[in-house]
Amino acid sequence: MGAFIKKDLLVFWRDRKEILISLILPIILIVILNFAFSGLFSDDKEIQLTIGFVQEDDVAAGVQQFKTTLEDMEMSVSEKEALIAQSTTLQPVQMVEEFLNNPDMKEWVTATELTEKEAIKQVENGELDAILKVPNGYTYHMLSNALLGEQSQSSLKILADEQSTEVTTLEELVQSFTNSLNMQFALESSEKQAEPILPQGGMEFVEESESYTIALYFTIAMGTLFPLFIAHTVSVKTVTEKRERVFNRILLTNSNPFHYLIGKIVSTLIIIWLQVAITFTIIQLILNVFPGKSLEFWIGLIAMFTAYTIAIAGLSALFTTITLYLQDSNAASGLFMLIVMTFGVLGGSFFPLDGLPEFMQMVGEYTPNGLTQTAVIDWVQFRNWSALGLPLIYLLSFFAACVVIATSMFPKRGRL
Amino acid sequence: MLETIKLSKRFKDKKVVDEVNLYLNKGESVGLLGPNGAGKSTTISMISSLLRPTSGDVKLDGKSTIKNSSEIRNVLGVVPQEIALYEELSAYENLKFFGRAYRVKKAILEKRIQEVLEIVGLKDRQKELIKTFSGGMKRRINIAAALLHHPQILILDEPTVGIDPQSRNHILETVQQLNETRGMTVLYTSHYMEEVEQLCNRVYIMDHGNIIASGTKDELLSILSSEDTILVELSNRSDTLMETIKALPKVLQVEETSEGFRIIARKGKSLLNDLVHAADKEGIQILNYQVEIPSLEDVFLHLTGKTLRD
Repeated sequence: MGAFIKKDLLVFWRDRKEILISLILPIILIVILNFAFSGLFSDDKEIQLTIGFVQEDDVAAGVQQFKTTLEDMEMSVSEKEALIAQSTTLQPVQMVEEFLNNPDMKEWVTATELTEKEAIKQVENGELDAILKVPNGYTYHMLSNALLGEQSQSSLKILADEQSTEVTTLEELVQSFTNSLNMQFALESSEKQAEPILPQGGMEFVEESESYTIALYFTIAMGTLFPLFIAHTVSVKTVTEKRERVFNRILLTNSNPFHYLIGKIVSTLIIIWLQVAITFTIIQLILNVFPGKSLEFWIGLIAMFTAYTIAIAGLSALFTTITLYLQDSNAASGLFMLIVMTFGVLGGSFFPLDGLPEFMQMVGEYTPNGLTQTAVIDWVQFRNWSALGLPLIYLLSFFAACVVIATSMFPKRGRL
Repeated sequence: MLETIKLSKRFKDKKVVDEVNLYLNKGESVGLLGPNGAGKSTTISMISSLLRPTSGDVKLDGKSTIKNSSEIRNVLGVVPQEIALYEELSAYENLKFFGRAYRVKKAILEKRIQEVLEIVGLKDRQKELIKTFSGGMKRRINIAAALLHHPQILILDEPTVGIDPQSRNHILETVQQLNETRGMTVLYTSHYMEEVEQLCNRVYIMDHGNIIASGTKDELLSILSSEDTILVELSNRSDTLMETIKALPKVLQVEETSEGFRIIARKGKSLLNDLVHAADKEGIQILNYQVEIPSLEDVFLHLTGKTLRD
C-alpha cells in the first residue's frame, strides 16, 4: 500500500502547475482579499455618531408602580418580597446610560442628554444624527416584562431625520443591547447573578468571546475551499491513469484494488494536511491572523482541520470510484468541479452564508467546508471544546460514508 | 499451457470476438496477426482477465481462469498497446512502483529492476522522467514493467506501433531473446507481418473477430501452394488493362501497386504471353515481370481480399 501512496504523492509533487495552484494560490488569494476587503471592517471605526439622549422616564415612579401592581396580585408575601428585592437591582434606565457611556462606545458615539424638544431642533439643524429616547413608563414595563412575564408595551425609540449608515448602525446596536438586556433580565429572574453584557464597538461581544478579522475569515474560507480542489485534482489524475491504461496495468499486478483506493485516500489526506498547514503558517507569519493564541487554541484548530482533511480524503475516494465508471475525462472533471463549486458557494467559502436564503444556509452548514468554517470561527471566538465535538463527529462520519459508498461501488475485476 | 475455448465478446449488438480458439504451448512464440479492429486487443484483454468474456473460457494448465483470475495474473506479463506508465515518474520509479505492486520482495526488487533495465537496454537512463523519453524508449520501459515478476507467459499487444526502426529492432531482439534464451512463452500481436514472421513459430490470423487461419509459417504458406504471386512493372497503367488482366481465366486477384500490378493467379502455364499481348493492345510496355516467393502477407491477402494495413 505504501507504494501506492508514494506513487500518488510523487505524481502530485511533479505536477508543478498543481503545486502552484494548491500551495501558492491560497496564500496569494488570502493576502489579496485581505487587502482588498479590509476596508469593510475598518470602516466601523470611521463612523462617528452624535446623538441626543432623551430620558423621559420617571424611574422612582416606575418602581413604585411595579410594587403597586405586585401588591394587587395573588401570591405569597415571601414571593412578593423576593420580586421587590429583584426590582431594586434591575435598573433598565441606568443600564442604557452605562451602555452609552461605555468607553468603546464613546470612541464613536457622542451622546448628550437633552429634552425631546431641544433634541428634535438639533436633529433638524443637522447637529445631531439621531435621538435615542427612553419613553415614560420604560422602567415599569421592563420590570413587568422581566419579572412578571407581562407583554412589554414600551421600548427604546430611535428618532432620525433621515435613514443613514450611522442611524442603521445605531439601530443595530440598540437592538443588540435590548436583546442583551432581555437576556440579563431573564438570568436575574432565574436568580443567577452576572454582570450585564453590553455590546461593544462594531461587533457584539458575548461573554468572553473574541472578535475575528477579515483576514481570519478569508484564511479559514480559503483553507476550507482549496482542499476541495485537491479532491478534484486527485480524481482527474485517476482519469489520466484510466485513459493511459495504467490502472489496467495495476489490476494486472494482482494488487488488491482497494490498495489503490486507500493510496488515493492517504495521499489526498497528506497533501491537504500539508496544504492547510503551509497556508496557515505562512499567513500567520504575514498577517498574524491568530495573534497571541494559546496552545489549546492551536490544538483545537489542528484537530478540526485534521478532521476536515480526513473528510475531504473520503470525498476524493468517492470521486475516484465515480471516475472509474465515466468514460469521458472532461465529463468527470466537469462533474467534480460542479460539486466542488457548489460546496464552495453553499459552505460560505466564497462569501459569508448570511447573503444566502435561509434554507441554503442550513444546507451549507452541512457541507464539510461550511461546517468546518463555522466550527473554526466559533472556536476562534469561544474556545469551547464541546462545540467542536459535533462537527468532528460529523466530518468523520462524512468520511466513513464516502469510503463505504466508494468501496461498495468500486468496479469489480473484469468489469471496466 | 494456455488455451481459449470459443472465446467471445459482444459489445451491445456488435460481436467483436467470435468463438476464438487458440492455444500456447510452453516455450512457444505465437503470433496473433490481423488488421486494426480485428479483435486482437479484445482477445488479449479477455485472456489477461481485464475483460470478462460474453461466453467461452480461458484455461491455464487446464483450469478455467474466468472465475479465479489471480493465478493467470501471476504468470502473465502483459505489455499493453498504450504506454501504461506514469509520465511524471522516472523509469526507475515506475519500475519500483510496479514491482511493489507485483509484490516482488524488497530484497530482490532492486536486482530485478536493474535486470529488466539491462534487458531493454535503458540502464543508463533509469533516473530520467518517462515524459522526457522518445516513443521507442517508452515502449521499452513498457516491456520492462511487464517482466519484473518473471512471468512465464509474455503477451505483447502491438509493442512496436509508432516507433523508429532502431527501437523496433531492439524490441524484436529483446522478445526473441526472452523466448529463446529464457524459455518465456510469447503471444505477440501485430499487424506487421514481417515481425510475426521473424519472431513466431506459429501464427493465428484474425479478421472481423474470427480466427481465419492458423498454423506454422509453412502450413500457412501452403494455402498458397496452388497460386503464384506475380509482380508486374509497367511503363504506365490503365484501368482497361487491369480489367483485361482480371478477365484472364487463370487470374484470381489483381491489386494495384505503385509501379504496376500484383497479380495472384493459379499455378501452371506462365501468364507472361497473355500479359504482353494485353499490354500491347493498350500501348503499354512491361518493364519487369517477377514471380514472387509467397509471404504471410500474401496469405492474408488471399484469405481476406485486403492487405493488413487496409
